[in-house]
Amino acid sequence: MLTVETIVQSLASGLLMGLLYGLIAVGLALIFGLMDVVNFAHGEFLMAAMYATFGCVVFLALDPVFAAPLVAAALFALGAVVYLGVVSFAMRAKTNVGMVQIFATFGLAILMRGLAQWLFTPDYRSIPTSWLANKTVPVFGVFLPLPQLAGALVAIAAFGGLYLVIRRTDFGRALEATREDAGAVALVGINRNRIFALGWGLGAALVGLAGAIMATFFYIYPDVGASFALIAYVTVALGGFGSVFGAFAGGILIGLVEATTAMIMPPALKSVGIYAVYLGVVFLRPRGLFGSI
Amino acid sequence: MRISRRAILIGSTASVFASGLRAQQPAEVVIGITYPFSGANAQIGVDAQHAFNTAVDIINNDHDLDLPLAKGTGLPGLGGAKVRLVAADHQGDPQKGRAEAERLITQEKVAAIAGTYQSAVAVTVSETCERYETPFMSVDNSSPSLHRRGLKFFFRAAAHDEMFSTAMFDFFDALKKKGKKIETLSLFHEDTIFGTDSSNAQLKLANERGYKVVSNIKYRANSPSLTAEVEQLKAADADVLMPSSYTTDSILLVKTMSELGYKPKAIVAQDAGFSEKALYDAAGDKLEGSISRGSFSLDLATKRASVGKINALYKARSGKDLNDLTAREFMGLLVLADAIDRAKSIEGEKIRAALAATDLPGERTILPWKRIKFDESGQNNDADPVLLQWSGGKFVTIFPEQAAIAEAIWPMNKA
Repeated sequence: MLTVETIVQSLASGLLMGLLYGLIAVGLALIFGLMDVVNFAHGEFLMAAMYATFGCVVFLALDPVFAAPLVAAALFALGAVVYLGVVSFAMRAKTNVGMVQIFATFGLAILMRGLAQWLFTPDYRSIPTSWLANKTVPVFGVFLPLPQLAGALVAIAAFGGLYLVIRRTDFGRALEATREDAGAVALVGINRNRIFALGWGLGAALVGLAGAIMATFFYIYPDVGASFALIAYVTVALGGFGSVFGAFAGGILIGLVEATTAMIMPPALKSVGIYAVYLGVVFLRPRGLFGSI
Repeated sequence: MRISRRAILIGSTASVFASGLRAQQPAEVVIGITYPFSGANAQIGVDAQHAFNTAVDIINNDHDLDLPLAKGTGLPGLGGAKVRLVAADHQGDPQKGRAEAERLITQEKVAAIAGTYQSAVAVTVSETCERYETPFMSVDNSSPSLHRRGLKFFFRAAAHDEMFSTAMFDFFDALKKKGKKIETLSLFHEDTIFGTDSSNAQLKLANERGYKVVSNIKYRANSPSLTAEVEQLKAADADVLMPSSYTTDSILLVKTMSELGYKPKAIVAQDAGFSEKALYDAAGDKLEGSISRGSFSLDLATKRASVGKINALYKARSGKDLNDLTAREFMGLLVLADAIDRAKSIEGEKIRAALAATDLPGERTILPWKRIKFDESGQNNDADPVLLQWSGGKFVTIFPEQAAIAEAIWPMNKA
């Protein structure tokens, strides 16, 4: 049953999916790296982005390709508001700061899910037609679905852009500096709160891009974020906490491992491969592949 | 401690008074329904609630229909008591199902419970009901193992997956007689009790009747990606693809098949996701000619007079047409209420006895069944399943012959 064609197809699909996993996870890694806060509402950000894309398609008749920048902008605002309205207060806790942060974002996740169910009903939505949907590029007998292909390209572009922003701009340098020592940056006139809010905005905008692309081929409903969020947490832990490049590499690795596992084991066990690799990394290199913490 | 005569007198008077109260007829009968109202299958719960409320409307108000309890108001056997529903959210989680069932029985004091969509949850809910001697009406669970656990308080009016799968294989045999080529099958099923029971039944039938199962894929429910699974289905390229999947996975399966350029020669699905409007809204164009088993289709209106009217009542509430699930949910509650009415009591044991004595002719249902009569395990063996084909934007009954409205289109995609 295992022909060269199926192996290549599986690996290609795994690579495309992996890049998307990376794009979903990078916002999480960015925020964690910046301020040591794990955003448990990350999956719900993805859900919000998918609904926003769906809304653009239905009400504005915009193709998801054009909706993507709008959705990213909207998610940027959402991320910044969440930081200013929820997380910055949670960080003021005098004791048990970690716990307070976890419960704050976890509570936010449940609130967002509940709101989505109330406003949009729990029905499954799909975007039936778009430029990307239902198109497949055959390359030598290997099928590359256009939505995932576009997702992979967006992911690569986003990582490239993020790299430039972090390395080449004042904002990026401020981000890095705040990450290194949030107390000291105040001395050189960097507003910590502002950097954190922008960091949350940027992280959410990245997951917004992922959501816009995913809306073209995945079903949308209030709990859709849950299964992707779990993978995103593993991706970040695997790639290394706080490492943006680690999230990129971790995503690709997870996509490939998942595809390989499914070839040699029953598909019901395909996530076993992911967690086996993850455990291996935890044992041998607890800070993750590219982690610096 | 000294017990005075007066205390004894007061105590015994109180207990006589209390038992006297209990014998009085209740003003309302509370029935618990437990469904996923949040989580991946929340929409199923929302639709089910509309179906149950439609049934309550039929019971509590006067309707000129040939259905149990339609004429007159309330339950005449209990002095016209009205039926009230209490809904509990089990989120698709068997443990939450157990806790919610216990709460419904002990705190909400329900006379009986109906549910639950997911067979895995029906396992724990029905066990809890058994412990409290409260009847459980499985209205839409299809795992065959459910009624084989020796439970006294478990009842299922609808067919289970062995009956459904038998209908599928009868259909294959009939097609083969007409000269169609059906030799190989691909089974594709999710990993909870619904999917595994369904594929076990299909595997057994395939072996008995000489069909070759070329791939048998179990996948994790709510997977982010089904690419690897579809790759294997594509490589096997069986004559029939037989999925047992809930809505989310069904949507992803159909979309992934199309993306990877796999056009199955035929699909014969074990209901669930394949009877949901959401799937056909998302990918109906790729499913022209796909077949699902069911217990209901709207074209039954030609054979059962009440179907059209009930559908109109349901649609006014939900904005959707009745489907295989909601039709069974509606009927299940009527059967349960009918038994409570005949029991003239809300005591578990009496309702159980009345349920066991149920004998309702098929004409007085909205389903294509011969009749409703439970065997010792609580299963109705006269719930004849039908096969429905998605064609031109609606379901058409194609099997068995006595219920068929049209001839099946086979195969759905030519090789």
